[in-house]
Amino acid sequence: MTVEKMLANYEFEQWLYKEAQLLDDIDFDGWFSLMHQSLIYQMPVRVNKEGTERPDYTADMYCFDDDIELLKLRVDRLKTDYAWAEIPPSRTRRFVSNVKLDEYVPEQKASVNSYLLLYRSRSTDIHHDLISGERKDEFTYENGQWKLSKRLFIVDQTTINTRNLAIFI
Amino acid sequence: MLKTTKDIEDMTKAELLEHLNETVRPEEGSVPAYVLADPKVYELEHKKVFMKTWIFIGHESEIPNKNDYMLRDLAGYSIIVSRNADHSIRAFYNMCTHRGMKLCRADKGNKATFVCPYHGFNFKNNGDLIGVPLQKNIYGEELDKSTMGLKEVRIESYKGLLFGSWNDEVEPLDDFLGDFKWYLDILVGRAEMEVVGAPQRFVIHSNWKIGADNFVGDSYHTMMTHGSIAKLGMVPSATYSKMGYQIHSDHGHGLNLGTPNPDFAFPEELKNEFKANLSEEQYEVLSSLKNMIGNIFPHLSFLISHTKVKGQLISNTSVRLWRPIDADKMEVIAWFLVEKNAPEDWKRRSRESFVLTFSPSGIFEQDDTEVFTDITAAAKGHMPAMKGLTYNYTMGMHREPVEFVGPGVAYDDKFSEANQRNFYKYWLDLMNG
Ligand code: FES
Ligand SMILES: [Fe+2]
Repeated sequence: MTVEKMLANYEFEQWLYKEAQLLDDIDFDGWFSLMHQSLIYQMPVRVNKEGTERPDYTADMYCFDDDIELLKLRVDRLKTDYAWAEIPPSRTRRFVSNVKLDEYVPEQKASVNSYLLLYRSRSTDIHHDLISGERKDEFTYENGQWKLSKRLFIVDQTTINTRNLAIFI
Repeated sequence: MLKTTKDIEDMTKAELLEHLNETVRPEEGSVPAYVLADPKVYELEHKKVFMKTWIFIGHESEIPNKNDYMLRDLAGYSIIVSRNADHSIRAFYNMCTHRGMKLCRADKGNKATFVCPYHGFNFKNNGDLIGVPLQKNIYGEELDKSTMGLKEVRIESYKGLLFGSWNDEVEPLDDFLGDFKWYLDILVGRAEMEVVGAPQRFVIHSNWKIGADNFVGDSYHTMMTHGSIAKLGMVPSATYSKMGYQIHSDHGHGLNLGTPNPDFAFPEELKNEFKANLSEEQYEVLSSLKNMIGNIFPHLSFLISHTKVKGQLISNTSVRLWRPIDADKMEVIAWFLVEKNAPEDWKRRSRESFVLTFSPSGIFEQDDTEVFTDITAAAKGHMPAMKGLTYNYTMGMHREPVEFVGPGVAYDDKFSEANQRNFYKYWLDLMNG
């Protein structure tokens, strides 16, 4: 690995940590400002296959299938007084690790893989939900900043063990 | 209200039934809270409802080709549903007849035979045991394979919707659905429909009846629970949800039919296909349909929803099972259906609107799940039974049914609890069965 790529890897790690912090701090506007206009934000439905055939998720059904406009709608909705699923907001903690920079063209584009473990606690409920999965992200460089232009989140459960995805992955 | 003198936990089955008959009073608009969380009620329900009636197991389009199969749950038991060489669909208990190992573990796939991972018995997808490793050598001539086929499950279908039952004496599916078929024609018989992708699955800490109750007749909650949707301009106004009809039929089925709609909610290109598949009256209803929300007893809910996404109107059709896992827990399994012959772009937008509104991330669905969870939590434990806590189901009891073009008992707006009363009436009938 070149030093340049090591530094870039570090830069994207910091990007993902910052993103996690914004989401955990329920600063959705701040988070949304990290998104690129061409965003594709997807979470396919994971399935049980017979053997080791991959991918073991469907290419035609999603838990999230948003572009920038729909993501904006979700963020706006959370600001209405009726978004009961997150009133009061869940306490979340996003643990991001195994950050691996794949494709990298300085000041142009990059693709980054990382793991996400998301802890969610609601109200006085002593149950907590854990969502684990892999993020396959793509970034586009714009106005001196890296913006997220694609996220494919591969969740590690075929039956998702949380009441809803009123939170972001 | 009647108070429990004895803990439900200590009741015999006969006593529990008597207690249910005394306290579940749908005709009077009253249902006790304990039926949503009590483990003994849940257990009895499993035997009297889920083991007795028809249970949805999937859609025919999920296994379109010869030797396609899918694994499904029938009242807590894994079954293999497969399309045979002659294109008929058959279903079998997913248990090897040798020593009971689970034969198949994938959600779906394509194969003509299933090989048991324990000792290697081979079963054809018509259930026949066709191979036993070293048979001659270890069993001699004694093993009669013809008596060792997989346990077949009774299945029947209506307009592509597949149902199974463990009850050998269950009435024909046609009779069970009865008058309700008229509306199911609009839901899934209007055109050739297909399931897209795999069903969505997620878990809610909720009793299954809350989901059924919500879909069978509760449009009243839309104004409040789904207030955010009106605020975002995706539906005309918060009160649009009242307009239309509430309809129920025998066997606890019910739906809310939202109408009128100035716009045609379905792909225009398919008008001829719709006309060919529906009666004139049904087509008329389809033409002015805004939404259709209902429940096939016990727990298959369905929905046609017409909303504005990115400034463009689009409808989506889905069915969902509130599969009980425990008294206070269910798996939601939701299938998205679309007209097979619709333009690709329409299909894509329809799926997009489904995922956006009704899926784990759905901006309608997610607010419902919060309510379901809290209702269940509040119904748990001894206190609700001890204090005789009840829910009020009296809405619309003062109203008389109206004439409607379709069959069943209809009321001329959706804000009524007649459907929920009808649901619980049939539920109680079955519990007594
Ligand atoms: S249990 Fe299946 S072959 Fe023995
Ligand atoms: Fe709802």
